[in-house]
Amino acid sequence: MGEINISKEVIQGFVDGSVSVEAITLFAIVIGAIFVNNVVLSQFLGICPFLGVSSKVETSAGMGMAVTFVMALATVVTWALQNFILVPFGIEYMQTIVFILVIAALVQMVEIVLKKVSPALYQALGIFLPLITTNCAVLGVAIIAVQKDFDLLTSVVYSTSIAVGFALALILFAGIRERLDVEDVPQGMRGVPIALITAGLLAMAFMGFANVVPLP
Amino acid sequence: MKSSLLNMVLVLFGITAVAAFLVGLVNNITKETIAQTEQRNKDLAKLEVLPTFEGEAKFEDKCCEIGEFKVNVTTVKANDAIVGYAVEAPSLTRGGYADRITLMVGFVEKDDTTLINGIKVLKQSETPGLGANMTKEGNSLERSAVGKEPKSLAFAVSKEGGSFDALTGSTISSRAYANAVETAYAGYLWAKGMLPSADDAKSGATNTNYEESEAQKGEIKNE
Amino acid sequence: MSKLQLITKGIIKENPTFVLILGMCPTLGVTSSAINGMGMGVATMVVLIMSNMVISLIKSIVPDKVRIPAFIVVIASFVTIIEMLMKAYVPSLYASLGVFIPLIVVNCIILGRAEAFASKNGIFDSALDGIGIGLGFTLSLTAIGAVREVLGSGSIFGYTFAPDVMPLLFILAPGGFLVLGYLMVLFNKVAKR
Repeated sequence: MGEINISKEVIQGFVDGSVSVEAITLFAIVIGAIFVNNVVLSQFLGICPFLGVSSKVETSAGMGMAVTFVMALATVVTWALQNFILVPFGIEYMQTIVFILVIAALVQMVEIVLKKVSPALYQALGIFLPLITTNCAVLGVAIIAVQKDFDLLTSVVYSTSIAVGFALALILFAGIRERLDVEDVPQGMRGVPIALITAGLLAMAFMGFANVVPLP
Repeated sequence: MKSSLLNMVLVLFGITAVAAFLVGLVNNITKETIAQTEQRNKDLAKLEVLPTFEGEAKFEDKCCEIGEFKVNVTTVKANDAIVGYAVEAPSLTRGGYADRITLMVGFVEKDDTTLINGIKVLKQSETPGLGANMTKEGNSLERSAVGKEPKSLAFAVSKEGGSFDALTGSTISSRAYANAVETAYAGYLWAKGMLPSADDAKSGATNTNYEESEAQKGEIKNE
Repeated sequence: MSKLQLITKGIIKENPTFVLILGMCPTLGVTSSAINGMGMGVATMVVLIMSNMVISLIKSIVPDKVRIPAFIVVIASFVTIIEMLMKAYVPSLYASLGVFIPLIVVNCIILGRAEAFASKNGIFDSALDGIGIGLGFTLSLTAIGAVREVLGSGSIFGYTFAPDVMPLLFILAPGGFLVLGYLMVLFNKVAKR
């Protein structure tokens, strides 16, 4: 029948049920999550803190750190819950309720622990922590990581990279907004509208990263 | 209301219990409908990718589980004659831009040749306006495969030497699409017991020159 | 405030999108077409009305310290229920709204209304408030979706009139920010008059 045009990997799947996915390296996941699919500028998650907190570079950095910490922690916990409780008991439909409660509880716990263990760090991050519960990026990333069936290591790397991407967007944006404050912006556009338009331009710049790496 | 440990625990527990009960109840009610809707859509898709025929259709499923994925080959019969084969297949070895895509591919046999009669996208979550265009009728990917002999196709996008004309700005989605058609063809051969052995096949036909082609890209590609 | 005002205030004076600037993630994330925007708006409205009513009912038995977690459980349950219903009866819409359905939980509009309104008012007023704010949200999302769909894919509510000539940019991420920004300017101009 002439040359066979089906690849070895696909045939292998039918023969022994193995799926050899094109290898996505952790490196590709990191670059993909920070630049290509930036959580704020291309996935539209975590816009509220993005618009609300990002008027100063310093506070943006603080928020970025707090989110990174919580996001990594939340992904580990939700990953474990999904794989050891929800799936074995067949109650995946409780996912949203369980995840949001866990994230809310986690944020509170981090706040309490931080206050006791490292007052300095608490001083720096404290005010941002309550805001994180309603940061949809945290819940969003936890759900996406579960949907994509990542293993634990990949989940942690993925969520940390997403958070770094969040911090990057926040800090870049704050830098621009600090400059905007001293510019003469037309009356009707001051505040949120000009911020959104700036974000649009920033998102356009980030589109340049598209196809840099194969995505997870 | 004042908070005490007792009423905090009681109220939270009460609310959670009621919530869990309600959610579980709705889950039980909708589970059936969700499964039925999915099955009905699939059955419709099977008929859509095959030529029209008279009489009642009979489906015979043959299913191959590959890891967490499954390839389902349905032999569609009417009046005791085989109309064609509808194969439901995921993009087995390639993710799309957002997630794996799933296609229904219809194969018909005429004389000695096998032709791809139709393709329908069952599941995709690609970007609207870009990769999601694969669901539009008569898109470039569909045109590259429908009416062709699968034997003569190279399952890759055209700029990597394949037979599939990629959607504008959606190379990754297009690769996944080609891969799903490839998986469907393999499924069809598998169901007929004609799947060639892996030793004869080239490794990574769809993966060749991947690095190179990435580097060569001149246009702005989003997916 | 009259009953009618409770409903109308959400559309102009306290428009959740353009004035209160709440719930920006779904606002930008799902509005690549008018019908998606509308679907998200209606889903959010249903959750908002239900959660507002239930929270208004249970407000007197919930201790202050566990108020937020209790509210979140109520909201999350309704979101999950809506999610399952949509999956069963409008699967195509469910597929296109994707991850943003579970994220209705963290839509600040809903928790915000629970805190600011439902936990202080009666069940009937809370329902009206939910309808009003939900209506405002739905209208804004539909408007943004319509503008993006027209500019980006040359169609409106799925009806194509100018295929393949419009700049794709508007249905991609940057277009979302730009359209929302300019619509906000327009809204402020018109509403302040």
